[in-house]
Amino acid sequence: MKFSEKIIVTLLKFAASITILTTIGIIMVLLFETIAFFKEVSFIEFITDKEWTPLFAQKHFGILPLVSGTLLTTTIAILVALPVGLTIAVYLNMYAPKGFRKTFKPLLEVLAAVPTVVYGFFALTVVTPFLQSIYPDLAGFNALSAGIVMGIMIIPFVSSLSEDALYAVPKRLKEASFGMGSTRFQTSFKVMVPAASSGIVVSIILAISRAIGETMIVAIAAGQQPRFSFDPTVPIETITAYIVQVSMGDVPHGSLEYRTIFAAGITLFVFTFLLNSISFWIKKKYQEKYD
Amino acid sequence: MTTKKPIDALVETLQEPKKKKTIIEARNVDVFYGAFQALNNINLEVEENSVTAFIGPSGCGKSTFLRCFNRMNDYIDEFSIKGEILIDNKKIYWKNVAVEELRKEVGMVFQKPNPFPKSIFDNVAYGLKIQGIKDKTFIEERVVKSLKDVALWDEVKDEMKKSAIALSGGQQQRLCIARTLAVEPKIILMDEPTSALDPISTGKIEELMFELKQDYTIVIVTHNMQQAGRISDKTAFFYMGDLIEFGETKQIFTTPQKERTQNYITGRFG
Repeated sequence: MKFSEKIIVTLLKFAASITILTTIGIIMVLLFETIAFFKEVSFIEFITDKEWTPLFAQKHFGILPLVSGTLLTTTIAILVALPVGLTIAVYLNMYAPKGFRKTFKPLLEVLAAVPTVVYGFFALTVVTPFLQSIYPDLAGFNALSAGIVMGIMIIPFVSSLSEDALYAVPKRLKEASFGMGSTRFQTSFKVMVPAASSGIVVSIILAISRAIGETMIVAIAAGQQPRFSFDPTVPIETITAYIVQVSMGDVPHGSLEYRTIFAAGITLFVFTFLLNSISFWIKKKYQEKYD
Repeated sequence: MTTKKPIDALVETLQEPKKKKTIIEARNVDVFYGAFQALNNINLEVEENSVTAFIGPSGCGKSTFLRCFNRMNDYIDEFSIKGEILIDNKKIYWKNVAVEELRKEVGMVFQKPNPFPKSIFDNVAYGLKIQGIKDKTFIEERVVKSLKDVALWDEVKDEMKKSAIALSGGQQQRLCIARTLAVEPKIILMDEPTSALDPISTGKIEELMFELKQDYTIVIVTHNMQQAGRISDKTAFFYMGDLIEFGETKQIFTTPQKERTQNYITGRFG
């Protein structure tokens, strides 16, 4: 091999290894700090205690309130994004004129490019007052409007990836269905969506994973009150919002309070890692369904 | 040949089978894809309970013409048609025609087997279910009957819940025919139904067509001239969007009237 070739190969290997090393580094830091955390707090308390008050005098270290807050906002987001996203995908694939699909899809993806801090303020200053006009008991900070806005943000994940999945369904299945006398609607929901189901499920999982990790919207609009509750009308706190709260505060480096963010972080990491693994597995398992 | 007595001639006329009913009638059909004219002024009649074969080189318009009969061309951008196509004396390109209803009468089997990624049972039951039929015993009976009609029942009766994708190509194609039969159409359009199959599966499907024409009218597009010769009653030869010749299959293959037809069937071009 030529010398110049060798340099190029080395550079490429170096670039590739940076990403892997960074990931390993992050996991190591998370692990070391978490281990230090669990030397002081029992794991059982961490996963069973229903209160999370590491910054108060009366300290409790139960992750459940943060997990419930995260699951609550994520569930609301998916309830918004799934029906809307899937409807858009089916419309674009089965009903819209070809030219429309070409222009509308990139436009929709712009939704994903809006900075999340903008979404956060949109939730706080537009959606919450609007919801309060319907339901006056709604707290100023609440899981509902944060969840709804987060749902809007992840619509493109669902619609775009689901549309890709529908687009990948062989044309001959569509023909078979139309040839049997099915309407567009029947073809969409009895043939196309089931045939694209693995891709659609993957799109939903990725959207969930994005929603779980979303920080800015919930930090701004959902409040900062860890609360083990599934009531969407009151302030809650998600794992990510807690991490922001502590990182921006003046908690001394190396203290137990400081280590809580790593324990919370690794919990978050476990969630998203599991979800991404499931979606990867589904993709792999059902990918070669049609030749 | 001896001269017949008038009475004998009369007896012969009486014994001669009544002329079959015309089920498909194309009148002055022109088809365009944008500015390109794919079919030029086609006139053709298809009789009930017969097999009609469309032959001709690739791009001659035979598939396009076939797909006019169940309006499958509707999904192609820039497709337009002039003239009239009548099925059972009803104009199918009239604007008030419900395409879904038409396709229940005119079923289609495609070039490549295209079963749904569903179970064998659900594939055959699909057409009935989308018509809103809920009677389970009725659906089951119809599914079994259709699978028996295509001689697939014995091969699949123990694995009706298995995915249809797991069947062999030939079995898949017979399943697709069964799926079409289940809704009891009058006409079955077949667009090169055996071109993706091995000779044994092809043989089975050809035998099947012979059985099916007792109850159905079949129009088949084929690239395989021997196949057209074996299975069809009438043959239409298309070339460059024109219907060159249409007649009894025997006549087309033994004494074609046009030179083009002769050149094609003897393999001089194509």
